Amino acid sequence: MASASSLAASLNPGTPPDTGSRAELSEIDASARWPVIVFLLSALAWLLIGTVFAIISSIKLHTPEFLGGYEWLTFGRARTAHLNAVVYGWSTNIAFAVAFWLMARLSRARLRHAGLLVIAACFWNLGVTLGVIGILAGDSTSIEWLEMPPYATPLLFVAYALVGVWAVITFRFRRTEHIYVSQWYLLAALFWFPWLYSIAQIMLIFEPARGTVQALVNWWFAHNVLGLWFTPIGLAAAYYFIPKVLGKPIHSYYLSVLGFWSLAIFYNWAGVHHLIGGPVPAWVISAGVAASLMMVIPVVVTGINHHLTMVGSFGALRYSPTLRFVVFGAVNYTLVSLTGSAMAIRSVNEITHFTHFTVGHAHQGMYAFFTMVMFGSVYYILPRILLKEWPSASLIRTHFWAVAIGVTLYWVDLEIGGWIQGLQMNNPGIPFIEVVRNTMPYLFVRSLAGILMTIGHVAFAVNIVWMLGARRPAGATAPTLFHNPPAVPAR
Amino acid sequence: MEWIFYTLAFLIATAISGTAVYALYWSSQHGQLRDFERGATSIFDDQEPVGRMTDHFPVPRRKS
Amino acid sequence: MNRGPLIFLGIFLALAFSWTGIVLTNQIQYGRLTPFYDQNEGKTFPDKPSGLAERGRLVYQDLGCLYCHSQQVRRPGFGADTERGWGDRQSVARDYVYEKRVFLGTMRTGPDLRNIGARQPSADWHYLHLYDPQLTSPGSIMAPFRFLFEYHRVVGERSPRALTLPADYAKQHGLDRPGYELVPTPRAEALVAYLLSLKDTYEYPEAKPYVPRRPEGAAR
Repeated sequence: MASASSLAASLNPGTPPDTGSRAELSEIDASARWPVIVFLLSALAWLLIGTVFAIISSIKLHTPEFLGGYEWLTFGRARTAHLNAVVYGWSTNIAFAVAFWLMARLSRARLRHAGLLVIAACFWNLGVTLGVIGILAGDSTSIEWLEMPPYATPLLFVAYALVGVWAVITFRFRRTEHIYVSQWYLLAALFWFPWLYSIAQIMLIFEPARGTVQALVNWWFAHNVLGLWFTPIGLAAAYYFIPKVLGKPIHSYYLSVLGFWSLAIFYNWAGVHHLIGGPVPAWVISAGVAASLMMVIPVVVTGINHHLTMVGSFGALRYSPTLRFVVFGAVNYTLVSLTGSAMAIRSVNEITHFTHFTVGHAHQGMYAFFTMVMFGSVYYILPRILLKEWPSASLIRTHFWAVAIGVTLYWVDLEIGGWIQGLQMNNPGIPFIEVVRNTMPYLFVRSLAGILMTIGHVAFAVNIVWMLGARRPAGATAPTLFHNPPAVPAR
Repeated sequence: MEWIFYTLAFLIATAISGTAVYALYWSSQHGQLRDFERGATSIFDDQEPVGRMTDHFPVPRRKS
Repeated sequence: MNRGPLIFLGIFLALAFSWTGIVLTNQIQYGRLTPFYDQNEGKTFPDKPSGLAERGRLVYQDLGCLYCHSQQVRRPGFGADTERGWGDRQSVARDYVYEKRVFLGTMRTGPDLRNIGARQPSADWHYLHLYDPQLTSPGSIMAPFRFLFEYHRVVGERSPRALTLPADYAKQHGLDRPGYELVPTPRAEALVAYLLSLKDTYEYPEAKPYVPRRPEGAAR
């Protein structure tokens, strides 16, 4: 970790950039060790906590008396705690871990000022802890995706400021001439997120806008957290790991440029599709619908890139855990985004709005795409920064199949159930209580899917803790995969 | 009085679009949109060249 | 795509563009929307919420009611909101001008509540429903909110707000002790006051009531 004086030197605009040679990959990985481990372990803890709240909430929906006497666990709070734990706890922590490692790798320079990042991790997790406890205690703001009470958010800001400083320094002192596509997505995500969050905090909590302008700010913010924070990081990882694992460059780099900029322009406007039919000006709803449909462009372009890179190498899925998770994620990215574009069409929205369909869709995006890509990233990154091998291939396989089947069951079940729910809700001849009763089987199946996913998470956690505790084999300078990889079939 | 805001909004929108279009033009003039192949292979190097897979399931170590 | 400042500029413009369009433009367009003054009735609509209702709004917020209930009536012909009796007309932006926090909601695990005050004006019904939704709506998956109530000894006279439970229910749950009553806590009273204040039963120039042709035997 660098001292304060070297930090001052890095921040000084007068300091010339290093003109030394590129660092060795193993050096880069070693330098990233502490930030990645701290963020990864925090993410893991939040994943398990978020999973517990998920199961509780899921059961409460079909069995409302479950833990029904506890005010702090009432559905409105348990579900909110789940969302914030998995979004700001698991997803954001793991996004940081993967993003920092990727930025170090892509900068071809040792990760500097790791101390900044470790301090940032402490602030961030303290903030999220305070936030989630606050939600359970009854201080939720009830603004979707922004429920953490205002006393938690300053800690998040401090954390992010440190991350921002680090990102600028790292980018400035990079040793590559070329800025790879993943790097654009990472820089974009790191820039966009604090602006979204700050504007939302100001216009919804500190100086609330009047009336339904709040709803516009809310959904501009919340959807952009998905589209401009998590999606770019997921795509950055996919754009790096698919070619890296295969040893094959991405199919069409030109398409990456197109994909990036069309995503940047269109995704921003799509958020209003959460308000179709709502009390906001019709023109902004139409703009949101149009943008949601235009999203087909970047999604198809990215899909072509990822999927055509894989063509001819599907056999590699048997050999690489990372590839399995990342490709699963990339396929679901294409599917969930096309579903999302379809959901923005008014006649479809008339049915799916307000139903469990949306919940299924949200989980396909945040889990089947983003979380799976993050799992794959961890399977690649951790051995390289620890110079150890994963202790158990069976745990990896268990993890993969449990969550892959679990999440697919989850979103398929809720989308079918939600579609039926929507159709029935639009039929005034069917009493509402009957509509609710008809969703019950789907809610039960969702709980089962959740249990399957929990098994996967436990397998994941056990493997990580086991690996951290295991002794490094003597004489190892790199994981076994760098030298003498097991024979794999030619591409 | 409202027209002041609308004019301002229109001017801001024009400024943003204009800057974006200019940036695209500037990029094309300064070689930002050429040589994509170099970009695609920038993540490979001598240690991890094109053609070599870099990930595998862990193989159980035989005690030796 | 190799110049940092260039990429940064594009990234910044992309976000600035959408913020200007979605947030700023609408803030300009209707961020200063005021209540409507009705000449005939000599007052403005919507009504400002009472202090108790405003406290109830905070209870609604802290318990997360929004995650199952929406508060927006869609226009007739788009969904069946008006046909289900959830409102006489579509909700418009002006309805929400007094709301410090707008709870439009995105889930209808339970029915829309925009006009619940008009649809279900009985406070007693709401107390029973909150205490145990099965009492008023058998088969409901809504959570019970027993912690919003207190079971205590009657002091002096019975409270006018004491819940009247069905005899067999009271017996089954041990709530039939003589000299005891089940009363709502102040939080429950505030919450019910808030719910009863939710009624957009006036009209504006931009939103006239819709008279649905209710099919035979239509349910709510």
